[in-house]
Amino acid sequence: MAALALSFALTVSARPAPAQSVGPVLSDLAVRLASMTAITGYEQAMIDSIVAIVPGAKRDRAGNAVVVLGDGARRRLVACPVSEPGFVVGQVRGDGWLTLRRAPGRVSPLVERELEGQRVTVFGRRGPVPGVVGVRSVHLTRGRGITGEGTFTVDSAYVDIGAASMAEATAAGVAVLSPLAATKRPQRYGHDRLAAPVAGRRSACAALVLAARAAAAAQGMVPRSDAVVVAFVVEQELLGRGLATVANTRGPFTESIVLDVKAGAMGAIAQEADTALAHRWPALGSVARWSVGARYVGSTVESTSLAGADSLRAALTRWIGGAK
Amino acid sequence: MRATCLLALVLAARPAPALAQNPARLRDVERVLAPLVETYGVSGMEGPVREAVQRQLPAWARTQTDTAGNLWLTMGRGEPTVVFVAHLDEIGFRITTIGDDGILEAEAAGGLFSSLWQGQPALVHTGSKTVPGVFVPRDSAAAPTPPGAAATVRVDIGAADPAAVEALGVRVGHTVTSPKRYTRLLGTRATGRSFDDRVGSAALVLAARRLDPARLRHTVIFIWSVREEIGLEGAKAAAAALGLRPSRVHAIDTFVSADAPLERRNFAVAPLGAGPVARALDNSSVTPPAYLDSLMTLARARKLPLQVGTTNGGNDGSAFSDWGVPDVPVGWPLRYSHSPAEVVDLRDVAGLADIVAAAASAW
Repeated sequence: MAALALSFALTVSARPAPAQSVGPVLSDLAVRLASMTAITGYEQAMIDSIVAIVPGAKRDRAGNAVVVLGDGARRRLVACPVSEPGFVVGQVRGDGWLTLRRAPGRVSPLVERELEGQRVTVFGRRGPVPGVVGVRSVHLTRGRGITGEGTFTVDSAYVDIGAASMAEATAAGVAVLSPLAATKRPQRYGHDRLAAPVAGRRSACAALVLAARAAAAAQGMVPRSDAVVVAFVVEQELLGRGLATVANTRGPFTESIVLDVKAGAMGAIAQEADTALAHRWPALGSVARWSVGARYVGSTVESTSLAGADSLRAALTRWIGGAK
Repeated sequence: MRATCLLALVLAARPAPALAQNPARLRDVERVLAPLVETYGVSGMEGPVREAVQRQLPAWARTQTDTAGNLWLTMGRGEPTVVFVAHLDEIGFRITTIGDDGILEAEAAGGLFSSLWQGQPALVHTGSKTVPGVFVPRDSAAAPTPPGAAATVRVDIGAADPAAVEALGVRVGHTVTSPKRYTRLLGTRATGRSFDDRVGSAALVLAARRLDPARLRHTVIFIWSVREEIGLEGAKAAAAALGLRPSRVHAIDTFVSADAPLERRNFAVAPLGAGPVARALDNSSVTPPAYLDSLMTLARARKLPLQVGTTNGGNDGSAFSDWGVPDVPVGWPLRYSHSPAEVVDLRDVAGLADIVAAAASAW
């Protein structure tokens, strides 16, 4: 994981300031964030990378990446969840196969069923280990009373990393609790689409990274009366713990924006009040959810518009600057 | 390997000698296999794979491509004539309809579970370029494809209507696959898609590199065939061209193995890493027992590991049966056949090339 984080940080930080070339940087950053894995509770590599590329950002006690822009009394918050559904190794069998357990939070049926017969990456203690989720050979189902396609769940998954024994798997750093997710292979297609697991949120986080970098680089963007807290929050899939910590340690806020994804027209940004969230954590103040429109939400090919993400970046930059 | 339906039986597998783990040898195998695996060629569009094979053959090799698209390499002279055939094509999809909303509908070319593609990145192959897209995810509440039903998928290439699809150069009849990459796993294992039958194709290349045509005392023909997955079409054309001439044919194709926890282990259990497998019985052929014994004798004499087993599926060699040509297929154990995540053991691939070279030169 550390290697992934370093590579990401070096690549992005070497680019010119976003104010000069926002478009291409946003595309690259969205693809890079979409290529990373941040399973709920195991988001450290992603947070390390964000801390490295957002000036002034620090990791807080919950593991969020947080930067405060301005030092006024009127506190505002914008937060982007980085976590994603995923799995951990539940058991390393004596014959080298791995079985799985869902990480906490909501794992959609699509995420599970799209894991069958696919490449996965196990984030072992000695680095990423490639593997596959086993599937019945189509040839061997024929003529044997086995109905072709069944309903796959992770409870019946066997992960093959090439190990012939538990010792071989362990030597590669794979153990119980090693995080595991589908191997990321973001796909650009159409005019401006990006497809990947949680592509909507990752493109939104990319927009926020660039907006925060622009604000940090431009002295005086944030009104003197304000302090804007920019947070990349963890464990959103686990009762929103990261966001709760920001609310309780950095609030109270007069207003908060939480970035999200929503099934709908790609390129559109839906802005809706979230009274439930405001009620749950009053320290957030009034809460708005800004959602990027996406197709195939919750699937391995969740598809979003990079032009839409760039519009979000522009809107966030204006909001950080005090625009209503 | 062509997926056909028949019941098969278990044959006892002979314990094989341990395969040597020679890192340099396995690197040679990977240098041939990886580029073949990473080249796309759904049945009927095998051109890029054929070219990839040609690029890897030794300098002395003079190949010919027949009208069906098969690639031929003829070595030595005199009789008997022995034929080895591995197929170039891979499973995938072919576009059947372009919807008013710009979504493509495609049906399977070859036997596969369409659910393994739904919700994954897609590539449309037009013949002149590759257009990226995604396989539309299936509604999680939708029923699985019933057995025997045509496997169909929908593909989104980001076009809003048929005119936009046409502007991208995409037409009905073009093929669709998903991105693939050869990846080394732990130990001597590797994963990728279309190991069936790029491993067989690689084994012929590796064997050709080890053969000296001038020292062959009979005619050996290597054929890299087309359209195996949709009905052995290339092999049928080659068999018709050769007629009564071959004394035997070796299909070099996958042995679909039950060496995985999800499989029933009442047959097809050929462990990965224990060597190539004589496919003594499958859905399309039964190896004449005397030929099987001869092959095993050859392997023992050369100290080459060789398992014997029975599995499901058909093979190109069976296309020669109408001319009375004995089919002696040889494969290697493969897990998760016709999926995006097939797994092989590189030692078996090296062993397969050894047995092909031995059978070509000394039997």
